[in-house]
Amino acid sequence: MEFKLEAHRIVSISLGKIYNSRVQRGGIKLHKNLLVSLVLRSARQVYLSDPCPGLYLAGPAGTPAPPPQQQPGEPAAGPPAGWGEPPPPAAHASWPETEPQPERSSVSDAPRVGDEVPVATVTGVGDVFQGGEADATEAAWSRVEGPRQAAAREAEGTAGGWGVFPEVSRAARRPCGCPLGGEDPPGTPAATPGAACCCAPRPAEDEPPAPPAVCPRKRCAAGVGGGPAGCPAPGSTPLKKPRRNLEQPPSGGEDDDAEEMETGNVANLISIFGSSFSGLLRKSPGGGREEEEGEESGPEAAEPGQICCDKPVLRDMNPWSTAIVAF
Amino acid sequence: MAGAGGGNDIQWCFSQVKGAVDDDVAEADIISTVEFNHSGELLATGDKGGRVVIFQQEQENKIQSHSRGEYNVYSTFQSHEPEFDYLKSLEIEEKINKIRWLPQKNAAQFLLSTNDKTIKLWKISERDKRPEGYNLKEEDGRYRDPTTVTTLRVPVFRPMDLMVEASPRRIFANAHTYHINSISINNIVDIKPANMEELTEVITAAEFHPNSCNTFVYSSSKGTIRLCDMRASALCDRHSKLFEEPEDPSNRSFFSEIISSISDVKFSHSGRYMMTRDYLSVKIWDLNMENRPVETYQVHEYLRSKLCSLYENDCIFDKFECCWNGSDSVVMTGSYNNFFRMFDRNTKRDITLEASRENNKPRTVLKPRKVCASGKRKKDEISVDSLDFNKKILHTAWHPKENIIAVATTNNLYIFQDKVN
Repeated sequence: MEFKLEAHRIVSISLGKIYNSRVQRGGIKLHKNLLVSLVLRSARQVYLSDPCPGLYLAGPAGTPAPPPQQQPGEPAAGPPAGWGEPPPPAAHASWPETEPQPERSSVSDAPRVGDEVPVATVTGVGDVFQGGEADATEAAWSRVEGPRQAAAREAEGTAGGWGVFPEVSRAARRPCGCPLGGEDPPGTPAATPGAACCCAPRPAEDEPPAPPAVCPRKRCAAGVGGGPAGCPAPGSTPLKKPRRNLEQPPSGGEDDDAEEMETGNVANLISIFGSSFSGLLRKSPGGGREEEEGEESGPEAAEPGQICCDKPVLRDMNPWSTAIVAF
Repeated sequence: MAGAGGGNDIQWCFSQVKGAVDDDVAEADIISTVEFNHSGELLATGDKGGRVVIFQQEQENKIQSHSRGEYNVYSTFQSHEPEFDYLKSLEIEEKINKIRWLPQKNAAQFLLSTNDKTIKLWKISERDKRPEGYNLKEEDGRYRDPTTVTTLRVPVFRPMDLMVEASPRRIFANAHTYHINSISINNIVDIKPANMEELTEVITAAEFHPNSCNTFVYSSSKGTIRLCDMRASALCDRHSKLFEEPEDPSNRSFFSEIISSISDVKFSHSGRYMMTRDYLSVKIWDLNMENRPVETYQVHEYLRSKLCSLYENDCIFDKFECCWNGSDSVVMTGSYNNFFRMFDRNTKRDITLEASRENNKPRTVLKPRKVCASGKRKKDEISVDSLDFNKKILHTAWHPKENIIAVATTNNLYIFQDKVN
């Protein structure tokens, strides 16, 4: 469990570094941020592979497990997962960062990508974290907002061709402050962007950390730099809550992330990073490095395959992983 | 004889220190690169403020046997200025990342200096004469009224106080999109994937082979070194050799990738070996053997258990350089607490020394230092926890022919020599 705690801590620190890097003189340092992203990935893997009962499944098989309420401080049942075990794929899949579907569809995502984990587990996690780690994760989340903004700006700045997504939306928190899973059906990952919250959907975020949410239509129309390259029809998704990146599935995940912030679910962010990195690995043109990395830590190699088994998913994740690379 | 004996046989003495004495370091004064020229007569430093300071060794003291010539300021100029890329809304730091001297071909000296984005070729020339006696100009430069000229004379050169001028001869701007880490005479190496999403490693250092002008190596953030031959193709995307040591799985940690990232690569003077520096060690590679280094020296292994703290305070990202002595028998690199380390390849002995103003008197022999990793600390040892991680020696240089070393602390340049009796 201490590995999990340390991993969590390292994730927070890393996010802080990415956030701070955007204000450093000379622009974002590619090398340093690449290294930080590698640490994030390692920490994420340890965090997710640590077989803490109830948080995520132990082992790649992904046998469904009941989500007992477990505080992060509790010692892990088993030995630390170490480096080789892949995180349960379903854990990643359960977050609707994959496709731009209406909010409820995220429920269906989970079974598609990996049925083992009942989505309830995820929501349970959210509940767990909400109480215990709100403070720490609040801080982490506020740092999360920064890097995303930075990512978009820098991605735009440093390589015009990169897909930039309006990350400011990421920073939006769930305005209603509903606890994760609150009144939603247990199967709904409350973090779905666009609602899944019984509270009145709001057209704009009322929390300050990010610039106020703007209807995606407006953003694209204005041609704001933060908009994704080739902004597809923003109105395609019939969501009441404005989704900034309707065309970008990962953003959905990020919005989930943003909305999870209040519940302090670090695991969300980690899964998102994880999927994105897996996407990175998958997209690599069979580079020797990636293959070797996969072989070095055996089960790791299985991870991309397990998580990102859906090609359309990968394509849709493009801009998000681009932003990750921007870090 | 230069380089004879090992790091331990030589007794290193303090010679000089350059730079401000304050503890309050102005950011612009932070030294960012140190380089001797090919003869060792000139020593150039670059700093974060974009300035280059060149020191010249005095020649006359060579006659005296008790010490070699001192280095005194020869020229100072502003090489790079801060710039702002308006298109990308990015500020470009003026910090000098690297200086490389060109081999001298005529009376003037040439060096390359680079910041993150722009490489400049500077000509440093001496002027010790100036023409006097113009017909149409006064001595102060004002033009004379031609109608007042009644006689003609031939202008003559008269001696003047030595003036060292630095003038930019070439500017290589915006060589590529990402930050320039390393320059080596002949070309600039930058290889990035066609699709930036696939970026998983970056080039961290590069150097041309000292003897084969067609061969160069570049190191990566993943701990690999690739040797490329430009004769094979114009674009060196495919390497001729790949040097990599398999990772020790028992040492795996969150930070394994960071500490395996190579911060510097240097060919030996002979061209047979190359040396790489990663966060914790120095490795010597035989160019004929790719699967592992022939020698590995641990610089500060006691830091391995502190990687998390070093990650938090960003020290783990420090890029240490390394250098060879003239005969390739000893290698040197820096560490924290203003310590620097030398490894004698022949005797396999190593020594830790400190660059400190406490040993200020010329010809004071430096006392070897020792860090106590754990357990009972002996007298004169320093415990790991009392190391000052703000005092780091990233840049060191060794005179190409003699046992003179230049060691840069944050804002001071120390020059040490071996004891000459």
